[in-house]
Amino acid sequence: MLLTDYLNAGTERHPEKLALIHGARSFTYGEVNNAAMGIAAGLLDFGMEPGFRGVLLNDDPFDYIVSYFGILLAGGIVVGLNTQTTDSSLAYVLNDCQASVLFTAHKFVRHAEAALPGVASLQMLVISGAGENAQQGGKRWHTHSFSDLSERPQPTESGLPFRSSCDFAQIIYTSGTTGKPKGVVLRHANLAANTHSIVSYLDLQPTDRVMAVLPFFYSYGNSIMLTHLAVGGSLVVNQSFLYPNVILQQMLDYEVTGFSGVPSTYALLLNRSAVASFSFPKLRYLTQAGAAMAPEMARRLKSVFPGTRIFIMYGQTEAGARLSYLDPNEIERKPGSIGKGIPGVTLTLRDKAGQPVPLGQVGEIVARGENIMAGYWNRPEETKEVLRPEGLWTGDLARSDDEGFLSIVSRKSDLIKSGSHRIGPKEIEDVLSEHAAVHEVAVIGIPDEILDERICACIVLRPGCECSEKELKVHCKKLLPQYKIPHNIIFVGDLPKTTSGKIRKNELRVLVSTQ
Amino acid sequence: MQAEIEKIRAFIFSNFLFDADQGALENDASFLEQGIIDSTGVLELVEWLEETFSIKVEDDELIPENLDSVNRLGQFIARKTT
Repeated sequence: MLLTDYLNAGTERHPEKLALIHGARSFTYGEVNNAAMGIAAGLLDFGMEPGFRGVLLNDDPFDYIVSYFGILLAGGIVVGLNTQTTDSSLAYVLNDCQASVLFTAHKFVRHAEAALPGVASLQMLVISGAGENAQQGGKRWHTHSFSDLSERPQPTESGLPFRSSCDFAQIIYTSGTTGKPKGVVLRHANLAANTHSIVSYLDLQPTDRVMAVLPFFYSYGNSIMLTHLAVGGSLVVNQSFLYPNVILQQMLDYEVTGFSGVPSTYALLLNRSAVASFSFPKLRYLTQAGAAMAPEMARRLKSVFPGTRIFIMYGQTEAGARLSYLDPNEIERKPGSIGKGIPGVTLTLRDKAGQPVPLGQVGEIVARGENIMAGYWNRPEETKEVLRPEGLWTGDLARSDDEGFLSIVSRKSDLIKSGSHRIGPKEIEDVLSEHAAVHEVAVIGIPDEILDERICACIVLRPGCECSEKELKVHCKKLLPQYKIPHNIIFVGDLPKTTSGKIRKNELRVLVSTQ
Repeated sequence: MQAEIEKIRAFIFSNFLFDADQGALENDASFLEQGIIDSTGVLELVEWLEETFSIKVEDDELIPENLDSVNRLGQFIARKTT
């Protein structure tokens, strides 16, 4: 199974059916497929070879989806990026994956112009949106307009390169706790297996219409896109959650049957929206990934969305998105649980030596299944650390009850979960350390009612130096995207450390939380 | 309303734009379209509005028509305080 088969099948079955609704614009399966084929034709005409990396830096859902499938049809590998980026972050990823093509929107061109001179592999820059132009300007790469490319004559299937389910389909970059972001490499087969499994337990149907608020460049948003296109359903997209009431009105207007979010999405809906005054008779399911749901939130959601099934899910980018789910019927009986492995996935809890732990004891979640990634892009050592004979070592510590329901106890890593973002503290620590007044820094996540975690930077100043919170935030803003700027900056006399000098972050979290 | 507008601008620069040039924010510019504020930023903004102007922002008032630019905020405060 190829991911492009979803779009082909949907187009053959119902070319006039809406695949995508975005604001006042809507697109049928036929329109999405035609534009994707046009993109593929353009990529092939300009010499892209199978396995090329096509990077997406675009928040327009139509452009994103069309480019995504166009790259796959042309035999390439899709690399979707967070549009909240910096010039240096973009340059890093483009060089790391050796990108051949960058699809972006006019509003992000300033990042591209700053990053591209340092990216030797780039051959094509495709720009969409206002101010599309194809001026060469003596650049090393060719610049093309998105609409020119997507409206090209379409190739027949025989004009497309041979593609196999074993081919790499996608690289999704994830924050590392100790260094730069890593590219998770997923084959068509990995993503197709995960898609098939999710479709089966959510019982998705062609009549389903999901409100897609999560960005497609993250693994969760990516799986929402793939699963709904796989069944011939429709995506109603609004990826800004700034004003939840606007989303709620769209859910009502478009009679959506599904909604997916992370814990902060539901916290915002319940605490800072008029959700209680709405009624959604067509809403069939809610999904939440990113953490178990607190029993109180589950109770409130059930009261606000009566009759709607609530799926708590758990996963990792390295698994193509999903590893477990809690059956909606068990949500009250198993509060705080992430459920059991999804169809096709086996989860075991193991000790450091790789042995299964006795029932009731804490072990690391290890996963096996067709969905598990091929590895990290060009990082064999880091791949070996997590892909071992037992399966994928997730870094999450959990306990199982006597019925096999899992509950996460803690994470081995220091990754901060803030809203829909997973943030490695090291990058922020490195940026803060560059400030002349900073002697030492530790960045931690502290609990937050809405975000799940807030980013907190604990700073030890150099002797004799003075510095304000605002000054450090200004410094961060120059070097980090908005969502990585610490919410809190705390000045401390020293940081708790082990005898070997390692910062005790758990102790620091307790200290900060009790202040 | 000018005094409120100045207070709003000072808050936006202090919390979201930091040391950016004053010209970086038009009073009619959409916070959403310009990517100035994210969903948690809106919550901080609402908390600040409630504290600074002694008003209560109701859940159904959390809409772009009230909150999505300096001018809209100024008009919203004016409506709430008269």
